Amino acid sequence: MLQFLSLFNTIFNDAPQPWQLGFQDSAAPGFTGIVTLHNTIGFYLIVICFSVFWALFSIIYYYNTNKNPIAHKYLTHGTVVELVWTITPALILIAIAFPSFRLLYLMDEVISPTLTIKAVGHQWYWSYELSDGCYRFDSYMLPESDLELGQFRLLDVDNKLIVPVDCHIRLIVTGADVIHSYAVPSLGLKLDAVPGRLNQVSFLVERTGTFYGQCSEICGVWHGFMPIAIEAVSTPQFLIMGR
Amino acid sequence: MSESAETTSKYVLQTVGFDARFPNTNQTRNCFQNYTDYFKCITAKGEDFAPCKQFKKAYNSLCPNEWISKWDDQRENGTFPASLEP
Amino acid sequence: MTKNYIKMNNKIKFQYFPYHLVDPSPWPILLSFSLLTFTTGAVLYMHGFNNGGLVLTLGFLLTSSGMALWFRDVISEATLLGCHTREVKNGLMLGVFLFIVSEVFAFLSVFWAFFHSSLSPAIEIGGSWPPLGITPLDPFAIPLLNTILLLSSGAFITYGHHALIAGNRKAAIDGTLLTIIFAILFTGLQYYEYSEAGFTMADGVYGSAFYASTGLHGLHVIVGTIFILVGFVRIVNYHLTKSHHQGFEAAIAYWHFVDVVWLFLFLAVYFWGGA
Repeated sequence: MLQFLSLFNTIFNDAPQPWQLGFQDSAAPGFTGIVTLHNTIGFYLIVICFSVFWALFSIIYYYNTNKNPIAHKYLTHGTVVELVWTITPALILIAIAFPSFRLLYLMDEVISPTLTIKAVGHQWYWSYELSDGCYRFDSYMLPESDLELGQFRLLDVDNKLIVPVDCHIRLIVTGADVIHSYAVPSLGLKLDAVPGRLNQVSFLVERTGTFYGQCSEICGVWHGFMPIAIEAVSTPQFLIMGR
Repeated sequence: MSESAETTSKYVLQTVGFDARFPNTNQTRNCFQNYTDYFKCITAKGEDFAPCKQFKKAYNSLCPNEWISKWDDQRENGTFPASLEP
Repeated sequence: MTKNYIKMNNKIKFQYFPYHLVDPSPWPILLSFSLLTFTTGAVLYMHGFNNGGLVLTLGFLLTSSGMALWFRDVISEATLLGCHTREVKNGLMLGVFLFIVSEVFAFLSVFWAFFHSSLSPAIEIGGSWPPLGITPLDPFAIPLLNTILLLSSGAFITYGHHALIAGNRKAAIDGTLLTIIFAILFTGLQYYEYSEAGFTMADGVYGSAFYASTGLHGLHVIVGTIFILVGFVRIVNYHLTKSHHQGFEAAIAYWHFVDVVWLFLFLAVYFWGGA
């Protein structure tokens, strides 16, 4: 019966699918913001593409040599049209700049985190340190031979990072050897792991689930084999698991 | 290190807060500042001075363990790059 | 036949334009290979290869002798053959100023490195500038004296230049000679200070930034001194006239540039960066 009910639940897409073109499903406000900004800019993109191609093709269509044998040799200026095609793009850029800066600075914000997680990129695995609770562990990709049914090839790891849902989490990312990059699409995370430098980002997971990502900075031969898997659990469960 | 204090605080979801001196993505200096501040603090007030613990909590939360052990070694060898005099 | 005659003797007889079409010369290709030897030698020497120093010395000798021979030809073209018309002089001076602009950008990059490291010092050097354990040089000792030396040498060369324009041979020689003496004093004092300094180029980013910036400047002082020395010898040998002394003016422009760079170095690296 319970199995049957699950048909009515939403199934979220938290890992890349074959031939996927769109985004994964958002699990964090940051990523929702990114998708919204993408759609906002996509609106301008479509409007601009349509108007530019409409103008281009109508010029080709109406003013080709067959239909228009006499060229307007002295038609070289048009103050009004020049003003329009200079000021309009400027206004569009301003209209794009405001929401993107708003999102940029919102995503930089770290107000009152409940948990700090340090993620350190190594050649070629991630290690995590949760020093508020004195945990430290390495997270290696599962080799193909160890995969069980339902696990993702090249994405699942031996030790997942467990985080509580609905908590502001501060992530500190650094590299131990070369530059890596910590990226989880459905949480809207992508942060370079630079040796000697600590980069900070804040995120909040809105639902339970397992979220997958990969190293996103070429870091050596096994760059493609150091995936990231984050499992979000409810806060009480997180506290129990903490033991 | 007091073991009992560690175990009780272990399961409380709490971490070092936002520091307005370091508002950027780059938190390298936040970690370093808290590390040096802790040792300046205990030099001035002694290890048992409770307010100093805040610095230790902060640098433990922010600094990679590898950095902390490297700096501890440097302090022991007298090669730590910053002055720890209060 | 007539055409060929004009072509053969165009410098003596007549040409329809004011430009200088240079003759075939062996120096560009020879100097290219000398520079290749020089830089290869520098790499071999710095990486400790056998006989690297020998290749470096050979490259240096080849380059400097190649330059001397090339410039000898230029001097004969300018002073004896009269190829440097007003138009050619304009072009040469434009070249000199563009060269100086490129030098400005070379120094800009060194200053950029200095300010990058000093304005927000990395935690690896303890977040302070100068780093802990570095004893910077006192800006009001030798560096201030050097500032005075360079500024006065700039004044002397202006004196010499004006004397040359006024046709006062003795004053021109005196002014230029004093410039050279002060320039050599400056280099000597820099050498003394380098040998007395309590840090080396290998002492972290402070030493690197300090010696890279002041060392590059010192190199330019030496080159400028040689440049002025050439002008001096040419004044003594009656090469330069009151209206035709392009090389000397180029040396003056170069010297003022080196002077200005020193002022910035003194303010930024010695005074501000050493406080």
